Amino acid sequence: MKKNQFNITILSVVAVVLMASVPVRADLATASGTLAEVATLTVQAKANLASAANSGDVNAIADAAKRADAVDAAMAEAQDAFSALERAVAGNDQDAAAAASDDLDAARQKAFDALFGAVPEASPQSEHAKWVEGQKNTGGGPGRAYDPPNIYDRPWDTQGLRSFYQGLFGTIWESQGNRGGFNDRDATPE
Amino acid sequence: MNRQSCIAMMVAAGFVFGGGPNTARAAEGAEALVSSANESIAAASVAMDEARAAIENGKQLVAQIPADSAQLGEVKSMLLAASDNWNLSVAALKGAKESAAKITSASSTAIAKDYALLAKVNAGLALSGAKVVQTGLLFVDAVSNNKTEALDIIRMAMQDSLAAASQVQFNYERVKTLIAEKYSK
Repeated sequence: MKKNQFNITILSVVAVVLMASVPVRADLATASGTLAEVATLTVQAKANLASAANSGDVNAIADAAKRADAVDAAMAEAQDAFSALERAVAGNDQDAAAAASDDLDAARQKAFDALFGAVPEASPQSEHAKWVEGQKNTGGGPGRAYDPPNIYDRPWDTQGLRSFYQGLFGTIWESQGNRGGFNDRDATPE
Repeated sequence: MNRQSCIAMMVAAGFVFGGGPNTARAAEGAEALVSSANESIAAASVAMDEARAAIENGKQLVAQIPADSAQLGEVKSMLLAASDNWNLSVAALKGAKESAAKITSASSTAIAKDYALLAKVNAGLALSGAKVVQTGLLFVDAVSNNKTEALDIIRMAMQDSLAAASQVQFNYERVKTLIAEKYSK
């Protein structure tokens, strides 16, 4: 009698474990659908950016760029969450799978809010922030290698370079046997 | 643990993991699935109508671009990408509608859910393809109207869009494969 009860208990546990393993497999298909949804939001964000660029409205371009950057960031988070889910499914780890599914849903919501909600703030790492920084190109800034030169920048006008060249000229002037500094002579000899 | 409690535990587990029969709840669930799928299809249809209008407009814009334009090669590439994505969108929207139509007639909730998922992902594929078409034709618009300052941004947006659209397509294929695997076992 006791042996029968033990067998039934084992069978019950096996049945519960088998039933519990089914949602993990199903979640992977749903998760792929969620990832596709976030990628679709990315395409929409880029289309909005292109539309803003075509309109020529600088503010609209900046807003669309911020949204597109935020959606890109959410897409990266979604991909990480999906990878974590794949690992959890491979290891049959229910808790990790549930956590990864939650992360994936959170990333989807983040992408949705970035595209249709309030305009997100540009983070220092975002493409838009890098673009704004790249436009400065004041010399010594983090401008891109292919940035055009700043035509308003005249390095020879700096006080340090003026002093250097004046000092150099003064040395040559004195080496020619002239007395006094070149700048000491009268502007009008008479 | 006696036999009755074991059976009770299995039945409870069946309910917890979605295996329990509940006709009313299943019918409500199917309605929600159909509604969600139809919502996705409607969004994709709107995007495709916009893309269709952009294509009509683009036909006239292409004629305005001078034959010696430096961007003519790029315009050609954009139109080819737009054409590919348009064909993909048309097929995906058709697939989405077919899958959505099968939700209510599915023999179980699990199969209905799978049809709903297929409908949703297909609609997403149609939507992303339509958006790629619109972005490609915005480039044509910028070239024909000589909006040179917009070209860089649109070019970059198109490259990113194509990459993201291929992600959508890849995930759609994965969903199809996973669902097919589930029923082939």
